[in-house]
Amino acid sequence: MNQQRSVSELPKMSAASQVERAVLEEEFNWLLKEEVHAVLKQLQDVLKEASRRFSIPTPGLESQLKQENFILGSSTMDQVKGVLTLQGEALIQADINLKVAKSSQVLHFQFREDKQWKLQQIQDARNHVNQALQLLNSRDESHCFKTGAEVNKLMDAVMLQLTRARNRLTTPASMTLPELASSGLMKMFTPPMPGDVMVNFYINPSKLCLTVYQLHVLPPNTTKNFKPTGSSVLHSPGAMFELNNNRFEVSHVHKVECVVPWLNDTLVFFTISLQLCQQLKDKISVFSSFWNYRPF
Amino acid sequence: MSGNNLVLPIVLWGRTAPTHCISSLLVMDDFSTIITGCHDGQICLWDMTPELEICPRAILFGHTASITCLSKASACSDKQYIVSASESGEMCLWDVNDGRCIEFTKLACAHTGIQFYQFTIGTQREGRLLCNGHYPEILVVDATSLEVLYSLVSKIAPDWISSMSIIRSHRTQEDTVVAVSVTGILKVWIITAEVSRMQDLDPVFEEESKPIYCQGCQSISFCTFTQSSLLVVCSKYWRVFDAGDYSLLCSVASENDQAWTGGEFIAADKVIIWTEDGCSYIYKLPPSCQRASEHFRSDVGKTKEGSIPPLIYSITARADKQKEGEGDEEELVVEVMCLPPSEYDLELYTAELLYHHRPLEAPLLICPPVTRFFFGRREPFYKLLIQGDSAGRLSLWSVPDTSPLQPLSAPVELQVSSTISLQEAFDKLAPVSAGIIDQLSVLSGKSEPIKVTASVYIPSQGRLVCGREDGSIILVPATQTAIVQLLQGEHMLRRGWPPHRTLRGHRNKVTCVLYPYQISPRYDQRSLVSGGVDFSVIVWDIFTGEMKHIFCVHGGEITQLIVPPENCSTRVQHCICSVASDHSVGLLSLRERKCIMLASRHLFPIQVIKWRPADDYLVVGCSDGSVYVWQMDTGALDRCVMGITAVEILNACDELAPATVDALSHSAVNLKQAMTRRSLAALKNMAQHKLQTLATNLLAADNADKGNLPKYSHNALVVQAMKTNMTDPDMHVLFFDVEAVIIQLLTEEAQRPNPMLVSPETLQKSQAGADKGGSFLANKIFRQVKETMKETIKEHLLDEDEEEEEEMRRREEKCKSLSLLEYNLTMDTAKLFMSCLHAWGLNEQLDAICLERLGMLRPHCPISFGLISRGGHMSLMLPTFKESLLHQLSLATGRKLTLTDIVGKGTYGVSRAVTTQHLLSIISLANTLMGMTNATFVGEHMKKAPARPPRPGGTPETPRRTSAALNQPSNPALQAQIKQGWSQLAAMHCVMLPDLLGLDKYRPPLLEMLARRWQDRCLEVREAAQALLLAELRRIGQSGRKDTIDVWAPYLPQYVDTVSSPGTTTDPSPPAPPPPEAQPTETKAPEEEMDVTDDDITAAEFSDRHTEWKIILLDVLQ
Repeated sequence: MNQQRSVSELPKMSAASQVERAVLEEEFNWLLKEEVHAVLKQLQDVLKEASRRFSIPTPGLESQLKQENFILGSSTMDQVKGVLTLQGEALIQADINLKVAKSSQVLHFQFREDKQWKLQQIQDARNHVNQALQLLNSRDESHCFKTGAEVNKLMDAVMLQLTRARNRLTTPASMTLPELASSGLMKMFTPPMPGDVMVNFYINPSKLCLTVYQLHVLPPNTTKNFKPTGSSVLHSPGAMFELNNNRFEVSHVHKVECVVPWLNDTLVFFTISLQLCQQLKDKISVFSSFWNYRPF
Repeated sequence: MSGNNLVLPIVLWGRTAPTHCISSLLVMDDFSTIITGCHDGQICLWDMTPELEICPRAILFGHTASITCLSKASACSDKQYIVSASESGEMCLWDVNDGRCIEFTKLACAHTGIQFYQFTIGTQREGRLLCNGHYPEILVVDATSLEVLYSLVSKIAPDWISSMSIIRSHRTQEDTVVAVSVTGILKVWIITAEVSRMQDLDPVFEEESKPIYCQGCQSISFCTFTQSSLLVVCSKYWRVFDAGDYSLLCSVASENDQAWTGGEFIAADKVIIWTEDGCSYIYKLPPSCQRASEHFRSDVGKTKEGSIPPLIYSITARADKQKEGEGDEEELVVEVMCLPPSEYDLELYTAELLYHHRPLEAPLLICPPVTRFFFGRREPFYKLLIQGDSAGRLSLWSVPDTSPLQPLSAPVELQVSSTISLQEAFDKLAPVSAGIIDQLSVLSGKSEPIKVTASVYIPSQGRLVCGREDGSIILVPATQTAIVQLLQGEHMLRRGWPPHRTLRGHRNKVTCVLYPYQISPRYDQRSLVSGGVDFSVIVWDIFTGEMKHIFCVHGGEITQLIVPPENCSTRVQHCICSVASDHSVGLLSLRERKCIMLASRHLFPIQVIKWRPADDYLVVGCSDGSVYVWQMDTGALDRCVMGITAVEILNACDELAPATVDALSHSAVNLKQAMTRRSLAALKNMAQHKLQTLATNLLAADNADKGNLPKYSHNALVVQAMKTNMTDPDMHVLFFDVEAVIIQLLTEEAQRPNPMLVSPETLQKSQAGADKGGSFLANKIFRQVKETMKETIKEHLLDEDEEEEEEMRRREEKCKSLSLLEYNLTMDTAKLFMSCLHAWGLNEQLDAICLERLGMLRPHCPISFGLISRGGHMSLMLPTFKESLLHQLSLATGRKLTLTDIVGKGTYGVSRAVTTQHLLSIISLANTLMGMTNATFVGEHMKKAPARPPRPGGTPETPRRTSAALNQPSNPALQAQIKQGWSQLAAMHCVMLPDLLGLDKYRPPLLEMLARRWQDRCLEVREAAQALLLAELRRIGQSGRKDTIDVWAPYLPQYVDTVSSPGTTTDPSPPAPPPPEAQPTETKAPEEEMDVTDDDITAAEFSDRHTEWKIILLDVLQ
């Protein structure tokens, strides 16, 4: 295209855009008055469904929450089996059977009576989704949106909470092995966990996962190159770490998992609502570029 | 950019105030400063007078996400520190007085509330920050190091903490932390002295956990008047609890869908509660909530929902609907409803009365305002309700202490005490706040200049490329246009100055500009790439102004243009990566002039582009956390992943090539990245610079021995465009690197034959040599320059676009190879910088010398400087800073001052850190210029660079020396006068400033900052620091020196007594004696035998040494 043409076209263009502008303005008003509320309603319904999946404990009535049992296994190996009982966001009971390879002896652990393990990932996801709902609740049909920016701001805030909720489930905390060893989890079992076994529970993305690490102590002045491994969700065999002046190396890693159906549902709901939000933002942005348009 | 460099920012804000959508608020204890945090991550400091006038002073940059909370972080009044936290988990400690970042840190989780807590063990006082947020604990953080010390943990039903409050007990050493979790459980922790001292990460468990059925708790506050009740505000009701056993005393439900967002006790029997839409209500508490009353606790256990205590005042913020397209203005009407002070009859006050006072029309704001109540603990004893909204507006209400005297049936109006928005403050300014190319952007018949929407600075050519909202792109010499905006001079008479070039092609707003050659020399140095909201990407030839090609491949506004990394395939190496708002990514080949790949299936906006050149992969990270891996050669989608795998893929790209990281989410917002990018660009420039030096050495054969100067990688001046919000126009920050200016000046000096030393024969010889080399070409260029200038001026007098287009084309034909006006970039930079720094108006004689002989120019009005501190954090003064400075200085001096009174010298009264930086800069530069030949900013030599290295502009290399430039400096008398001028300037800033300004208008330099530069790697800076340090030590006198020593003594290493030097007494870290070459030999003698046993001796020693120093200094200077 040459410059000459583009300059001479300019007056024609702006004349055409006058009419176009009027139409667009009307369409934009419809978007703000009708469409936005329709989308918000839909969004609210989806999120309410998601929130309903996370049963919120009423103070004092925690014990009335539904208990679900999950049998964790793996298709490839049978060294580890676990039966976990989930009540809301807490694991209230765990039975772990660990078959040690060399001795063919089966170790059995379960949670102590007085202990339960809260899955922080579920609690965080639940709190984030409730915050998103709160944001939407304050903007019901009676609220009149006046600018696209207002809608965008609301969508940004909602999407931030939803992305966080989803990320909490899809990306479990990565921990270093010493962090894992010193977490309260090791003290929860009866009989007490031996020093060369470590366990970890997490959600990823809708599965309840149990990882069992079998360790062996490295001799103090070993010739082997000792390099402590960083943080990771799932450490691989050969990972090394130091704890209380002892050096350990991971010899075996067993990971078993089981799908939690309602977590799967919530993930689907999160994805749907995020897409709804983005689509609404995209609709607004189509207009905003015309909005700023000034014929020069 | 290392924190070691002496870099001074100068800001050109333009007429549009930055978007400041307030997300959090804080008023300092002394009620002199208000701090607001915004959704884009900036923090604004506002000065407040005792008459409640507010004026924005500075904006602090550094956070990358929305500010979630602000808190004070120091207890004493002389050290005003605040802490800010952002949505992305960053925490930052700032000095409120000068906007320095003291410390910063980042955690994985975001804090939503921070409370400062000072505890005392014996005489020792330590500051702690209690943080709550998206995690189930309360973290206790050290208030100076920002390290997590320990955490308060729940044993029973642990969950996120919504809100907390600290109850200080005056009787015991135990303080109580009361918090409410999101599920409505009240938690109580006791902090004892033992707990506070604990340094290991042992958790502290709660003392009490009691369900109070307050879900969605917004705030909890403790009554400091009676010490016996707690106010808990939830979105649907607010409740008062007994602070002793946490039993419910009173509960009030909200009416008509109002959502309460917070509240506070304003007196023993009154509370103020505010709503999400900005209304506030003052209630009188029923007798059952008042300790003094006989009915106290009479209702415990039988409180019913819905019994409403008397409403005394209600404050509603109401905004008139604004017209489209106009600025964010709104009118605030405050209504106070005065009700009969009936303490007994609760039934009178029903919901209907409240309803009457809800805002009739919701304000045109894009998100709910933030309201806070602050209670002045010192004089003046204000009770302030303060509100900040999305339009960057602050409103203050002074809350009356007394109930209305006589019963009134109709509501009366309580005026808002004070209200101002950032934009209003900008609009009030006269002269208006300057934008970088405002003089070229004001169309006839329009008052507002065309906004600059995208810009890039080309340091090698000293040129700024500005894309504007009308689709045109302006190329202009950066220093020249900055001089027009900041300084007075003859350029004010010329319209359309400086000569510039306009590129027209985009039909609407230009959204991004890229000069690829600056990032990698593999690109053609003529190519400039721009993207617009018209979906097109245009390739320009910057030397001819020709439009080379238009790419129309995207279906949305172009948001980013990126250069692929070096090790991509050769085909991709000649591409530009473009990102558009339709979530598509394109690879546009500049060589083939076609799009070689378009990746457009992304559902969410693109947040980051990464590269895996070895695998020929383009990795696209989207805002929802999904990652798309595209094959660049085939354009096939290789993978689309989410969750951990996505994170791992992105991290793997970083490990492979850390330099290619390029986050898009906050392109211009993220200062830290801008800084990194700047230094990366500087690194790349270095390679190019090497070549230049080589060429220079070959050409300037007679200067070969001087060619071994340190190669310099940084640019003296960098113009960085910034915006705090994507919808804002660009504002421009000029970063002056003092060290780089000095080195460039010295380099040019070294390349110049010294006319004072060379004999007339050699002069002629060199002149002849130059003539032989390229005087023909040089003269031709000179003629063309003149022509261009004339044309540009003429064309702007005509001021017609068509004419301009034609002129431009004609000119293009005439001088294909000529880029804009040639000028001496280094000297221009120095001129701009010195003119901005000089303390004008203190010594008229000196001012006259500066103007006439040295060629400096007086600024139009006080200049907005900035201050760079740790980790790329930066504070930039708003143009409105001068208003509050004027007020402050007028108050201090007791007479009315005008703007002209504080031009230049005003900045020395801003803050101690700023003074230090400025004095160091001006003295070191003046000393450098003093040693130079013909170091004046007037005369012909300013038009040409003397023997500049070959410009990438493409003109064949010639020593561009005109006869005028050579003749002028050969006058020894003139030379002496110039040198004397600089020495007087240096002397004034070094020693006379405190006396001339008076201590009320002068913030002395910081000794520790000077001491840190005692051994600066740049000799000029080092000398300036040493001279300044000694001058300052002398100024503070014996008692001041003793105080300084007392302050620093605990930090001094033990061996200081044996190796003593003036530097070490003030500087804790490098106790090394000053290097010999930096010290005049005379002063060295007493140093070795000095045996400091007493502070007084040291002090005496200082003054002795200083007298010597001063004599030497004056000798040197005059």
